[in-house]
Amino acid sequence: MRVNPLRRLAVGKRRRFLGRLNKTHYCALALLLSLLLSTSAFLLPSSALWILVALNGGLVVHGLLLKKKISALLKIATVQLVTTMGLYYLFHGESQLLEGAVVVLRVLLAMLPGWWLSSTQPPERLGEVLSWGLPHQWAFVVAASLSLLPFMSRELKEIYQIQCMRGARITPKALRNPKNWPEFIYCVLLPLLIQLLKLSKQMAISAKLRHFGNAAKATHWPSTRDSE
Amino acid sequence: MKSHFELEDALFIGFCATLLVVLKSMLRLKLGLSGHSMFLMTFFYLLCYGAVGRVGCITACGLLAGIVAMMLSVGKGGPLILLKFGLPAVAMDLTLLMIAGVFKLRWQCVIVALIGCLAWASKGWVENMLAGMTHQIALTKFALNFLQGGVFAIGAALIVPTVLRRLQSHDLLQDHHKQYK
Repeated sequence: MRVNPLRRLAVGKRRRFLGRLNKTHYCALALLLSLLLSTSAFLLPSSALWILVALNGGLVVHGLLLKKKISALLKIATVQLVTTMGLYYLFHGESQLLEGAVVVLRVLLAMLPGWWLSSTQPPERLGEVLSWGLPHQWAFVVAASLSLLPFMSRELKEIYQIQCMRGARITPKALRNPKNWPEFIYCVLLPLLIQLLKLSKQMAISAKLRHFGNAAKATHWPSTRDSE
Repeated sequence: MKSHFELEDALFIGFCATLLVVLKSMLRLKLGLSGHSMFLMTFFYLLCYGAVGRVGCITACGLLAGIVAMMLSVGKGGPLILLKFGLPAVAMDLTLLMIAGVFKLRWQCVIVALIGCLAWASKGWVENMLAGMTHQIALTKFALNFLQGGVFAIGAALIVPTVLRRLQSHDLLQDHHKQYK
């Protein structure tokens, strides 16, 4: 069977281009795509939102195929929907409920690319991509902060639950009164800040012992997830 | 962003920025109060200034919070959220350049918090004007935003010196820091 030489050239070019792309380049493209989609959620007219819905649907399918959990995002979207629709009904009646639904859809469409990015790309790669535009130290800081996000959330929840059991006035109902906010800061944020200050000291020592910042051109520790 | 911060300080600034974004997204859901974001923003920005003790750390914290919020898609502005976090931070840092050492820490915090709130409300005013709102309504909204945000910002500014004193009592702040009165 004869193959068209033009077609063979195009296929060869595409293969060479894809060969040059490594995981960091894919991560950069994912970051750009995520930013583009998030921004479009607010800029596109309502009539063109279906395009974004389709694209975000693809991202959700990709995330779910990789067995990433989406329940937290769905919970946030449900709360947003209930509160926003409630407010729209209260202020404008039934006439503008559809507009309220569109607003919630836009917020959800702005959040979905972020979920996809953070669940499919490892923070080490994101840090590497950010280091192209940021000084290496700050790129390391952003990547470290993002990778510590689950730790921070877990610690925050644990301290919050323990303080609630001790009778602190920081339950969701009590926090509706701003008078109780200082108690939230002293009971929950202060212990967490103490831990974070200690952690930042330990991480800085650990990084310095690994000669962080000594090389003229920064190197990146390979992700353990890449080898899996 | 200048990279002359110690790595330890830079990491603490990054953690504060991330915690600010996480808490902001949590409180937005549960409270839904307008202007409450100034409480957290002021608290974490001033805490960074108190703990790191260097002009520029508030701007660094603001820009990092913007980047993290953008990457996690927290807030409604997409990449424009960088401005929302960055503008008050730059205004606060510039104010600190002018008033550092003139007042006691508590008054410094209050003044810096009010200037940050002014920058935050001004951003909303500019947006409303660009959207075609009339001068009167835009100014009314600006005044309302400034009042609401100002109350929260002052509340946070008054708490910061106490928190810093407690952190110092745990021997977690470096020696070059002053007494937090």
